Amino acid sequence: MSDSLEPIIRFDHASFGFPGVIALKDISLSINAGEFVGVIGPNGSGKTTLCRAILGLMAPVEGHLHIFDCACDALRCHHRAKIGYLPQKGVVDRNFPVTVLETVMMGRYGALGLFTRPGSNDRAIAMEALSHVEMDKHKDTALGHLSGGQQQRVFIARALAQQPKVLLLDEPTTGLDMTAQHNVIELVEHLHDELRLTIVLITHDINMIRSRVDRLVLLKTRLYAAGPPADVLKPEILSQVYGKDLVITDKDLIIVEDYHHHH
Amino acid sequence: MIELFTYDFMQRSLLAAAMVGGLCSVVGVFVVLRGLAFVGAGTAHAAFAGVALGYLMGWPPLVLAIIFGLATVWITGWVEEKGRMKLDVSIGILYTTTMALAILFIGLMKTYNAEVYGYLFGSVLSVTTEELRIIGGLSVLVLGLIVLFSKELYFIAFDQEMAEASGVPARRIFFLLLTLVALTVVVSLKTVGAILVFAMILIPASTAYQLTSSLRTLTLYSIVIGVTTAVAGVVISATWDVPSGPAIVLLATTVFFISVLFSPKRIKHVAPAHAH
Repeated sequence: MSDSLEPIIRFDHASFGFPGVIALKDISLSINAGEFVGVIGPNGSGKTTLCRAILGLMAPVEGHLHIFDCACDALRCHHRAKIGYLPQKGVVDRNFPVTVLETVMMGRYGALGLFTRPGSNDRAIAMEALSHVEMDKHKDTALGHLSGGQQQRVFIARALAQQPKVLLLDEPTTGLDMTAQHNVIELVEHLHDELRLTIVLITHDINMIRSRVDRLVLLKTRLYAAGPPADVLKPEILSQVYGKDLVITDKDLIIVEDYHHHH
Repeated sequence: MIELFTYDFMQRSLLAAAMVGGLCSVVGVFVVLRGLAFVGAGTAHAAFAGVALGYLMGWPPLVLAIIFGLATVWITGWVEEKGRMKLDVSIGILYTTTMALAILFIGLMKTYNAEVYGYLFGSVLSVTTEELRIIGGLSVLVLGLIVLFSKELYFIAFDQEMAEASGVPARRIFFLLLTLVALTVVVSLKTVGAILVFAMILIPASTAYQLTSSLRTLTLYSIVIGVTTAVAGVVISATWDVPSGPAIVLLATTVFFISVLFSPKRIKHVAPAHAH
């Protein structure tokens, strides 16, 4: 559970999008220090927009977004470096000439600022981040030679090298096999416990995270529900968002038909 | 053949080739990694239009080349950033427009001007001391900026959005990279020409890309390949009396195909995909 009720990310009636196209409307939500929050919702529900907003890549068109007590309506506030980010897994070019350690060192660049070279301290931080994800012995391996699950671990290490307070993960298990999916989620849970990081995890896989998160946030352009998983995962609430695509089995597994048909 | 190197013109040519080869190959690393190959080609033709206008109006051709080159990359970058058009579409339009302008400017000249064609096809053997100074000055500027911002340039080449999210001023660094591409093209115009400068930027870095999985080694290999092929190309050009630009580029292309054949990455692809 959360360590305190100190809100470090606070949406205050905030809307995001472009003129005429609102991706997220009137969101009021606080995420507290040390919380593990899962963000769920159908495709196109604004999950990634929420992520981009927290990162400072989109300013609210209405309302406010406060991060670390800073009204971050201006983009690229300096507090952003405290948010470690794992982007949705793109296809990593197998041949891109970068080693595991070089990739993780990039996590230091934002904090270092321009004109400063990474030193031995930065290298030590990067190596520590690699040991947290148990990839330190692969430090000189080419990134493209790793499996998908191992690459995700390296990208999580890059986020950790920022020495963040918040770890923001956008669909971290997509494109991985079942074993790798479980390993990545277990790693995130472990980092939450060990490093006392605030975790915001965006996912389509409700069953994977329901037993691990403190709170779930259910989005579909608007905020439909936010609270402990047992309060959010009620058929009457879920069916408002997923409609007829929702199937709840007798083992209480939640299956979203739409996702499985289209991916 | 040794006595060739005692001639002033030959020493100037070799120095120019080495500088341009080194400069293009360093900038090329970021162009290849960030996927800006077409921008190099488009900028070269825009800069050539500037040269043609310079000769037509009696204005300094290199200054106009810089203005045309910078305008092209900045417009392209701005249009992409605003999400109005993909980079390859906007550069394609500017590429053809500036080439049309170049042909128009040449057409408007009342007499045949061999110097203009020198910028199109390259004539490193006729490089003057003054041009050498300009090449040297701009090379120091471009390389200095690359050294200063190398970590940010590598980061945006790998993942620009991630760089932005980490607090790196990624968009400004992207515009810096576009500016460096334009300046490099202008520096190289006289030596290899507008058509072949693109190859000088692309081929050494692409060759190095075949050979290594480390960013540092990639840059080092690219410089070695760029400088060596440029200097060797000039020697071949002077020895066998063939045009210098094509000599450099065809030599670099040969090295590229050899690197593809012997690429450790290619050999690894035959083996099972996972190293661990």
